[in-house]
Amino acid sequence: MTPMTRINRFTVIERMFHLFLILTFLVQTVTGFSRLFISTIWGKNLTAALGGAETSITIHKWIGILMIAGFMVHTLYLLTRINWGDLKNSLFGPDSLIPNRKDAKDLWKRIQWFFGLGEPPRMDRWAYWEKFDYWAVYWGMPLLAVTGLMLMYPILTSRIMPGWTINIAVLLHRAEAILAITYIFIVHFYIGHLRPTSFPMNEVMFSGSLPLEEIQKEKPAWAARLNQSDALNHRSINPPARWYRVFYYVFGYAVLGFGIYLLINGIIYSRYIPIH
Amino acid sequence: MRKKNRICKPLIFYSVLCSVLLMTAFGPLSGPVFAQEELASAIRRYKGYEVSTGYYEEYESLPRRQRPFVDVPDLRSSAFPYSTTSASVRSRSHLADSHQGIKFYWGRRCEDCHIHETLDIHTTRANLTCRQCHGGEPIAGIDHYYSPLNPIRRHAYVCAKCHEGAGASFAGYLVHEPAPGSIKAKEEFPVLYYSYWFMSMLLIGTMAFFLPHTILMGIRELFGKKKEEKNDTDDTH
Repeated sequence: MTPMTRINRFTVIERMFHLFLILTFLVQTVTGFSRLFISTIWGKNLTAALGGAETSITIHKWIGILMIAGFMVHTLYLLTRINWGDLKNSLFGPDSLIPNRKDAKDLWKRIQWFFGLGEPPRMDRWAYWEKFDYWAVYWGMPLLAVTGLMLMYPILTSRIMPGWTINIAVLLHRAEAILAITYIFIVHFYIGHLRPTSFPMNEVMFSGSLPLEEIQKEKPAWAARLNQSDALNHRSINPPARWYRVFYYVFGYAVLGFGIYLLINGIIYSRYIPIH
Repeated sequence: MRKKNRICKPLIFYSVLCSVLLMTAFGPLSGPVFAQEELASAIRRYKGYEVSTGYYEEYESLPRRQRPFVDVPDLRSSAFPYSTTSASVRSRSHLADSHQGIKFYWGRRCEDCHIHETLDIHTTRANLTCRQCHGGEPIAGIDHYYSPLNPIRRHAYVCAKCHEGAGASFAGYLVHEPAPGSIKAKEEFPVLYYSYWFMSMLLIGTMAFFLPHTILMGIRELFGKKKEEKNDTDDTH
């Protein structure tokens, strides 16, 4: 094992899912904000930049449908990742994204470590906040999809259920969107870009692989598992090409800047709109 | 020649099919074309007319004169039930002229009193005016038997003007919904109230946990990094 051994963490298709989510989420945020803030001057400018209120909502609807399709494709992909022969280990093992008892222990240890009361937890492949990120999106997307479809076809909705459910759908769609935007643009961006370990950018979601050294620092339990298995010997992954690194740094920072622009303006102008 | 036809015909067929599909999805067949816009956007025509001409009242009759003996249902405060503004809005919702007896009514605008009602989605997003649903003067109370907004007919007389196919259930959508976190909502629309508090608690709970968590993580990692660097320099010297 050389010191620069690299380990693959995300496959190409997993990185594509993440990229898909970045792009669609950003478009939905912009078009959604342009509609939410349309009674303010900022919302009017945003709407004008998107080509008017009608165009903005049309984009929002089509991208929403695209996201529903993406969610379904991802669910199918998820099913292919389950090892059906060894279901128990596949679902509750260390490589699984399902939260388990170790996550609760890790969280407790980490809180102690914050205040200098002990060693940091020996984390495995997925930290508890990474699992939270994943499942937050996974339950948020169906909620936004169902309420979004209800608002897209209100007449049909009112035939299936009482009309007041549309009021609830508006509320849930808006509240869940605000929750997602706040979480992604503050917590997720902070963890991915600004915290000392990640700064200036946690590259693994774009490069797909990371050095074993880094894993040993961040996720010692996973590194131990990797060292035990003979998987290491078979892997020789090249570090990402320089042009590609430049590309995803520019892309990552563009998205970060744009997200923070939307977040700050959203906070500033939220006092002028009736969200209650 | 025959062979050429075998390729050409399907090619033409599929290209026509594709262009028709594309046109239905994004192109001219997907919505009204430019010249049709005037007729297709009935939602905006009324307001556009009002704004461009400045004539608000000319074609509407003003509310009737203030009458000394106002016959407001459920309200008889004294021997001479003279009332101008003391009638509650609830009882007014049954009147043929819901603004009957309000002083200086002719000089006021709807939003002078109904400010909350002008902040709903229909007004802010679709640019609707009050009169497009509530009708011209005299504005009937929504529970008056002949009012277009009476629940027995509002889906057909009001909602369906824009929402083609609207039924009575559709009209159950509350246009002027109470503020979802308010006591009023708790009494009138409890599902809205509890969904609002659930989502608020979810947002506040998530942030209350993750903001301190990530900030502390950052601070602690910064200290850890300093220590590590110190160790590194110790090794080299």
